[in-house]
Amino acid sequence: MEKRHGRSRTILGGLTLVSVLLGLYWGLVQAPPDAYQGQLQRIMYLHIPTILTAYLSFFIVFIMSCLYLWKRDRRDDILAYSAAEIGVLFTGLTIIEGSIWGKPTWGVWWTWDARLTLTAILFLIFVGYLILRSLIEDENRGAICGAVLGIIGFLDIPLIHMSVYWWRTLHQPPSILRPDKLPWENVHPSMLIALSINFAAFLLLYFYLLSLRFHVGEMREEVKRMKLYGGA
Amino acid sequence: MELLRQASWLIWKDLLLEIRRRESLVTMFFFGTLLLFVFHFAFEMPRERAPEMAPGLLWLAFLFTGTLGLTQLFQPERENHCLDALLLSPMDRAALYLAKVFFNLVLMLVVELVVLPLFWVLFNLDSWRLLPAIFMVAFLGTLGFCVLGTLFSAVTMRARARELLLPLILFPLMIPVILATIRTMEVILRSGDASEALDWLRLLLGFDVIFLTAGFLVFEWVIEA
Amino acid sequence: MERAQPELPQEKSVLHVAIRSLAKAYGLLWALREVTLELKPGDCVALLGPNGAGKTTLLKLLCGLVHPTSGAIELDGENLLGDPSRLRSLIGFLSPSEHFYENLTVAENLRFFVSLYGKRESTAEVTRILETVALDSRANEYVGSLSSGMKCRLAIAKWLLLQPKLLLLDEPYGMLDGSGVDLLEAYLRGLAGSGGIVLMASHHVSRVLALCNRALILHRGKLIFDEPKQEPWLTFQRAFGEFLPRGEQWSS
Repeated sequence: MEKRHGRSRTILGGLTLVSVLLGLYWGLVQAPPDAYQGQLQRIMYLHIPTILTAYLSFFIVFIMSCLYLWKRDRRDDILAYSAAEIGVLFTGLTIIEGSIWGKPTWGVWWTWDARLTLTAILFLIFVGYLILRSLIEDENRGAICGAVLGIIGFLDIPLIHMSVYWWRTLHQPPSILRPDKLPWENVHPSMLIALSINFAAFLLLYFYLLSLRFHVGEMREEVKRMKLYGGA
Repeated sequence: MELLRQASWLIWKDLLLEIRRRESLVTMFFFGTLLLFVFHFAFEMPRERAPEMAPGLLWLAFLFTGTLGLTQLFQPERENHCLDALLLSPMDRAALYLAKVFFNLVLMLVVELVVLPLFWVLFNLDSWRLLPAIFMVAFLGTLGFCVLGTLFSAVTMRARARELLLPLILFPLMIPVILATIRTMEVILRSGDASEALDWLRLLLGFDVIFLTAGFLVFEWVIEA
Repeated sequence: MERAQPELPQEKSVLHVAIRSLAKAYGLLWALREVTLELKPGDCVALLGPNGAGKTTLLKLLCGLVHPTSGAIELDGENLLGDPSRLRSLIGFLSPSEHFYENLTVAENLRFFVSLYGKRESTAEVTRILETVALDSRANEYVGSLSSGMKCRLAIAKWLLLQPKLLLLDEPYGMLDGSGVDLLEAYLRGLAGSGGIVLMASHHVSRVLALCNRALILHRGKLIFDEPKQEPWLTFQRAFGEFLPRGEQWSS
């Protein structure tokens, strides 16, 4: 059983590697440079898939937290915790990529644009989740408290989204990056292909990391069980 | 009804303890006043810039004093294993949630009732007739703060370093309520008319309702964990 | 100094408790392992064992303060975790010098906790109960100013008012003086006599054995002894002999 899981994980890893390489090739070589932004735009092939998988990750935290509170299955909690960790990683990467792109484009590393702000708040909420988990010793209590934060944090996203957008649009004139338009208007087909391949690659990478991290959590649980029952 | 009856007993208990121990209210009040002085040293606020600066400063003061109150919110229950005694009883757990939200709300409103006029005096503002409207907005914002704050005060109650942890996870979640409250106050101060800020008020109200419901539903799991 | 005897719970309805392979782990440590036992109406059970044997954990599991890692507790065939609020009012947990707000008075504490059980006790009732436990003169003092023995009497008063069907006690003897012990034992005898269940963890072996009609011994989280009392009780002496605290003698 475990062997079969291990093999399918290896296959998933191989697929991930191939698709990431393919994505890099399309993004760096096949797709033409952007009409306005030139080569700089190529970072979008990473940037957009990263943030989308991060959102997916927090959605998984939400679903698994609900399931845990309902069924109290330890594995749901391990999955929620794993997804939160990877989600924080991907959100952090998004912010870094955004800054790398923003510096030459806008001339600043950071601007209080609505979408940037939203991403940063999301990052903070789930960093808080990870810190909370590390500061509660009792395992069940940590799982329940984490689940509650996971649920509330996710439900908060639309509200933060709304308030931050209103704040940015009502308070100040819209910035360079208008929220309703992507930075490029006329998209070359090979650009779309590059973006889709990268998106698929990131999804594969995400689920590969998630399964690895979940496996670690399960093994930890197994060790605990063995210590508990072995020491009889 | 049983829920409200139990909640009112819990509130009676908390108010009585607060009157006798005077731990939260006095500390919160003086901390709030102290913050106004600190703000005054940090910023020169000319009268014409008040509409844009005052809401932020005020709300910052309320946020900090409120957090101070939240970290003490479950203190009586931590002492002497009283939480165990509450959990032993068939009491509806949601009653405890409602009671604690109400109690913290009362504490903060009392503080705000004094700090708001004091702010007007200390910073030489003359728009006294807007004060009731500002207070109403502060009430809605404070409600949102207490609704979410009480839930996470319970979440962090049995964690290590809970006093540090609480604002760390609470503040990011509070962003909608912080933004909405400050902007509403700003619009009111600038235009002198609350109807200009209806969108923000609706968001604030929505936040209060959504998180009161969510807290009401999940509190039982948190407190029994 | 003999006070009025505490009145016995009048209702005759009874409660069966079934514990099925109950286990609780704290981190990497078993506090309780595969404990299976049944408590029948009228049982007055002594829960014995050295420190860290899992006595308090078992008591806390039984009153729902701690959730089991595995296993189940059934009260009259209903799972304790299933319909807690109805079952909770049937269970009492007497832990001396705990569970009271120190800045509320004796009477306020009683009225507060009784109200959470959905009962309304008149002031006269509260006064009468306080007289029973000899605290009537202290009714308007803060609990914080009471001695631990008095707090223990207050806890007895609380459960006298609430009349649980299953009463769990965690080391109640330590704080009580002679008349307090008489009071407690009269209450426990009355409770068990009227079909209630008493489960008492204690290190005062001879005292609890005189009171109880059944004994359990926990050792490292396992139930190693469970027998009704008999005279002479050689099996108990053998099982308990190795845990006997120095200086304490147990004789039938």
